[in-house]
Amino acid sequence: MTRRTVITGVGAIAPTGIGIDLVWKAAREGLCAIAPLTRYDPRGTPLALAGEIRGFEPLEHLEGRIVAQTDRFTHLALAASDMALRDAALSPAELPPYSFGVVTASCAGGVEFGQQEIQRLWSKGPRHVGPYQSIAWFYAASTGQISLRHGLKGPSGVLVTDEAGGLDAVAYARREIGRGATAMLAGGAEAPLSPFSMACQFGHGLLSAERDARRGYLPFTARAPGFVPAEGGAMIVLEEAGAALARDAEPQAEVLGHGTTFTGARRFGPSAEGLAAAARIALAEAGVGRHEVDVVFADALGVPEADAAEVAALRAVFGARLRSVPVTAPKSGTGRAYSGAAALDVALAVRGLRHGVIPPTPRVGTTDPALHDLNLVTGRARTVPVRTALLLSRGLAGNNSALVLGRSPSQGETS
Amino acid sequence: MTTGTPLTYETLATLVEQCAGVALRPAELADPEAVFKDLGVDSLGTLGIVAELENRLGVQLGKDAEEAAAPGELLAIVNRRLAEEAGAPTGTPKGA
Repeated sequence: MTRRTVITGVGAIAPTGIGIDLVWKAAREGLCAIAPLTRYDPRGTPLALAGEIRGFEPLEHLEGRIVAQTDRFTHLALAASDMALRDAALSPAELPPYSFGVVTASCAGGVEFGQQEIQRLWSKGPRHVGPYQSIAWFYAASTGQISLRHGLKGPSGVLVTDEAGGLDAVAYARREIGRGATAMLAGGAEAPLSPFSMACQFGHGLLSAERDARRGYLPFTARAPGFVPAEGGAMIVLEEAGAALARDAEPQAEVLGHGTTFTGARRFGPSAEGLAAAARIALAEAGVGRHEVDVVFADALGVPEADAAEVAALRAVFGARLRSVPVTAPKSGTGRAYSGAAALDVALAVRGLRHGVIPPTPRVGTTDPALHDLNLVTGRARTVPVRTALLLSRGLAGNNSALVLGRSPSQGETS
Repeated sequence: MTTGTPLTYETLATLVEQCAGVALRPAELADPEAVFKDLGVDSLGTLGIVAELENRLGVQLGKDAEEAAAPGELLAIVNRRLAEEAGAPTGTPKGA
């Protein structure tokens, strides 16, 4: 691809904070925001813990009209998009029409809004279902609302590829920039913490039923009890490198390569081979050798079989060098926000590349990773030169995704 | 609010905020130049307001109400309908 894609802005909202500065600070310090679920009364259900965003008042970020029309997942995506544009110091109006597009990934859609309207339907009747149900529940709602808000008329799309969608959206944006777009907003935000949504997930048996927050989500450990669901996500501004340079924008990172494979729903064993293949495809596209990878942001499902498969994938990619490659999973401090989780990883990786810091895997002890022979970053952040980051993510339907980010060419060795 | 009392701009303002999320003063709605679209109330918002009125009043307001472009127009349609329900002679009520 001759047109290069750089990241010039990041907006993030997570259980650990509102805004990338707070989210990064918490990740760097290894803070954990997983706590007892309060969004609804979970008594009588297997789920007791969640990664909830606290203190997010939609009306502080958005007009009342938009708040009434859309679900919480869109509130989060719109607010994160505004933050990302501010971070990039980019006003979409500056760009030619049709050159700026948007792509979001969503797994849950507007499920909280949808549940509220279904309750009205069954308790009061069809005449009590509000007309905004027609647009608020939809997976594409965030892409549409971001496009309307900023007048983005360029390439647009929505990806429903579960957690991996957070990486796939960035790759989609890079592809559109390669094909001629000047800039893209890409990422994902989710708000899946409604009883209906969570009940739909008990069946797959991967949600953590742990009641003690300290033991709720412990990826790569022998006692991993599954994953804790979360809300939140990130939106990223991507620009064609030349266009970013022309407006004196400061590139924060470069998107170098991406790969995806499919190994079948709930078949974690084969995901080892699939993840390894996705990583090799991404590294090949990036033109980056495996010895050049400075950090891996792991999928870290928190289910022993899936974690073992991920370690096997890393062993296949890195061979004997695996022990020297730092691996981290900051999401053990937030829970998994579905498509938003991988988008948050992208936001954190961008900060890590800028500052030469690898955030730790919260709550996972130093002795735990020995089980998997991983160089897992635990306890405290590591300050090391980080030039290239490999991000991995899996969807529960069996899709495996890998993204390679590089330090922006204009950046020095340290910052 | 019952079928016996006409719809006022005060009540309409409450409904607009509740159903469409737009906070407006009754005077803004009463402005003869006021148009829903310019006030930030889109067509789905109007649909929601009309549905809520129908639920509260227990009357059908019809397509004209759902497609009303202006608050004054909606108010007139609703009050005409309420007058019909009350058995009053049909016609455009004064000041609607």
